[in-house]
Order: sequence, then C-alpha cells, then structure tokens
Amino acid sequence: MAPTLKRAWWCGCLLLLIGWSSAASALTVTVDAAYIELHAGPGRGYPVFYALERGEQAELLKHRTGWVKVDTRRGGQGWIRAADLAHTLTAEGQTPVLPSARRDDYLNRRWEFGAAIGDFAGADALGVSLGYRMTPHLAAELRVSQNTGAFSDSQLYGLRLLHQPFPAWRVSPYLAVGGGEARIRPHGILVQGEDRQNNYLEAGLGAYVYLSQRFFMRAEYRNQVILTRRDSNEEVNEWVLGFNVFF
Amino acid sequence: MGSRVQRLFLALLLALAFPLPLAAQAQDPLGRVITPDLERRELTEANLDEERFELGVYYGLLSIEDFGSNPVAGVMLAYHITEDFFFEANYAQSKAQETSYELLSGAVELLTEDERDYRYYSLALGYKLLPGQMYLGDRRALNTHVYLIAGAGNTQFAEQTYFTYTLGAGFRLYALDWLALDLGMRGHSFRHELLGVSKTANNLEARVGLNVFF
Repeated sequence: MAPTLKRAWWCGCLLLLIGWSSAASALTVTVDAAYIELHAGPGRGYPVFYALERGEQAELLKHRTGWVKVDTRRGGQGWIRAADLAHTLTAEGQTPVLPSARRDDYLNRRWEFGAAIGDFAGADALGVSLGYRMTPHLAAELRVSQNTGAFSDSQLYGLRLLHQPFPAWRVSPYLAVGGGEARIRPHGILVQGEDRQNNYLEAGLGAYVYLSQRFFMRAEYRNQVILTRRDSNEEVNEWVLGFNVFF
Repeated sequence: MGSRVQRLFLALLLALAFPLPLAAQAQDPLGRVITPDLERRELTEANLDEERFELGVYYGLLSIEDFGSNPVAGVMLAYHITEDFFFEANYAQSKAQETSYELLSGAVELLTEDERDYRYYSLALGYKLLPGQMYLGDRRALNTHVYLIAGAGNTQFAEQTYFTYTLGAGFRLYALDWLALDLGMRGHSFRHELLGVSKTANNLEARVGLNVFF
C-alpha cells in the first residue's frame, strides 16, 4: 500500500509541476553556435554542468535578471545567459531576443521606483518615490517621506514635476518643482506641541547617475517652504541620496 | 569616335532590353551573403515568464537592547534589479519584555503595555555573493548563495519613531528555483533616550524565512 501511495503522491506532485510550468506557452529553440553553456543556477558563479551542442533543442521556461531557464532533452534543466539566445533559432528561423534594459531604454520606459535617504534640516529622512515619464524630458513623481528628528517627526506626501534638459547624458541633471502636505508631530517628552498639517512647496536640483542595466543613483538638494498658519513660513533645506530602478 | 558612340548606344540598348535578369543575377546571390535574412523575435511576458519579485515571511528572535530577547515576525518583498543587486523592503512586529531594572524593583514600570509594541520597516539594498551548491545525497544539488544587505528605515517603539540603520547578512538555500529558505542576521541600530540618557541601541535579529519568487 505504502509504495502505491507514495507513487500517487509523486504523480500528483508531477502533475502540479506540469500544470505550473505549462502556464506560459512553450517556446523551443535550436542552438546555432558551437556550444552554449548550461549553468546550475541563474548566476555566473553557478557551475556549468552541460554544454548544448549545435542543432540541439531547448525549451525556454522562464527568465530572471539576464538568465533564461531551459529544458533540454539530454542535459535536463538549467540556466543559460539571456545573451546566448542570440545564438539560437526558433522553429520559424528567427532569433529570439529578450527585452533587455539598456541606458537609452529608460527614456522609453514609463515607470520608475526609487528609495532615498538624506538629511532634512538635521532630521534623518527616508523616502520612496514612484515616477511616471511623460516625455524623455519630463516626469511626474509621487513622493512619500518620513523624517525623524530630535524634536519632531514629520511625514511629507507630495507630487512633483522633474525636468531633465539632457536626458541622454550618463550624469543627467534635473530640476524639480512640487508641493504637497507635511504632517508634523513634535515629540511629547520635550514640548507639549500639537500635531500640525501644513502644505509645502519645493524646488530641487539633482542628478541621475546611470549605474547599470535598469539601475540609477540619484542625488538631490531641495529647498522646501512649509506654509504655516503663523506669521512666518518655515524654510527647510534637504539633501537626499538614493537609488532608482526603471521598469 | 564613331565607334565609341556606337558602343555606347549598343550598351544602352542592351541594358534596356535585358534589365531585369541582369539586375536579379547581380543582386540576389550577393545580397543573401552580405545581409542574411535573420529576423529577430522579441520575447514578451506572454511567451516567457519573468521572475523578478520575491515575497517572503520570516520568524525569528529580536534582541531589543535592555528589553530582552523577543519573538519577531515579519514580511519581506524584494525586487531583483540585476544578477547581483536587489532591493528589499521589510516590515516586522515584536513586543518588548520588561527590563532587568523593572523585574528587580518589582513595582516600577518604564513603559505601558501598548508602548512595548515594537514595529519596524526598512528599505535596503542587497548584494549576492558566493554562489554555490549543497548536495543532498548523491542525486540532488541545491543552489545557495550568501548576501550582504544595508539599508535604513524607521522603528516605532515606546510610541516614538526612531530612524534606524540596518546592516545584515544571510544565507539562501533554494529548494526549487522559485522557493528559497532564508537564514538571516540583521542589526538594527538607532539612538534613543528611553532610559534618561541618549544611547545607541543595536538590536540584533536572527531569523528564518521562506521566500517565493514570482
């Protein structure tokens, strides 16, 4: 009884796996180079355990950060570099290419996510942003940041516009203007202050620095004016440094 | 002179009479050799699944300086930017115990029950290194790698928010290529004045997690 049960269990697992893998339509390619190395994992450090020969077929299963998982008849499953797809042909005689991300791509890519840390007039700032590129020069960005200081904490929720005069440069400067709402909470231990909600306006100057693939570093200096209900507005200078990814 | 004009005229006539076969013979075979008729087929998400995100849950022990070692449970979401780098966001909850001073004195309570809630979130950048394999018997090999991670976030403790730096390292064991076991260590460090004087706390966390790629 036990072996039958075990076999049934394995069959079930297998069916589940087949169901899982057949979710994406299968694409079979033929090797059109002297050989293509098959790695054990999606990374250059994982061992090469098989070499696909010219004319050998492989089924493409999925891809992850520059690597494609393939199923081969003789070598089993393994990972090949996405760049090696250039040395394969589909049944129709075409060369499959993955939409790989390059520097000039980011002008066509619409969405961008970023995280940054910085100094908000002495307070530690941590922010995230979601950007949408409308044209190569102009982007809109939603930003949320939390500033933790010695005397008060604040949260900023804002919308801003970014203008890049030279978007194709590797180090590309930009200007930003925007505004939003600042929620300020003084620390209770020191002064019994009230929570405040004020609008703010900002102007910033920064630069994108291209690192690799879909990866940027971004540095910015900005001046923010918090519109208070008191006689004078508060002016806050902030600098931030972060990373952005486009997709 | 006359013969040159005749020859020119003849050549023109010939070219006009047999333009197509000549042109076809001259262009076709060479054209094929010089520009092979290779089409590129752009693969999309529809015909090849992409796995860039990783979602995980973890459970472990968080040692909150002065407030004992406490169970911690959290969730993580990672985005793999390149083969080597990834973004990671974490959110976790724990609850602090009483300090030794509170226990020994008997009656003193530094924090109320609600103030003992400890929550943190962090955004971090990770780097994968030392890829390799571990062997289960002589048939199965599991992929592994180590990672280093650094980031920042905020900790909510004693109804205050503290800006927190996080440094850590961990070990990944892939049971399947979309399912990984994570053994991680993190140090969460921030400055607080809960005990009267300003001090830096480094809260060490040891955790075990299960992550799924999608």
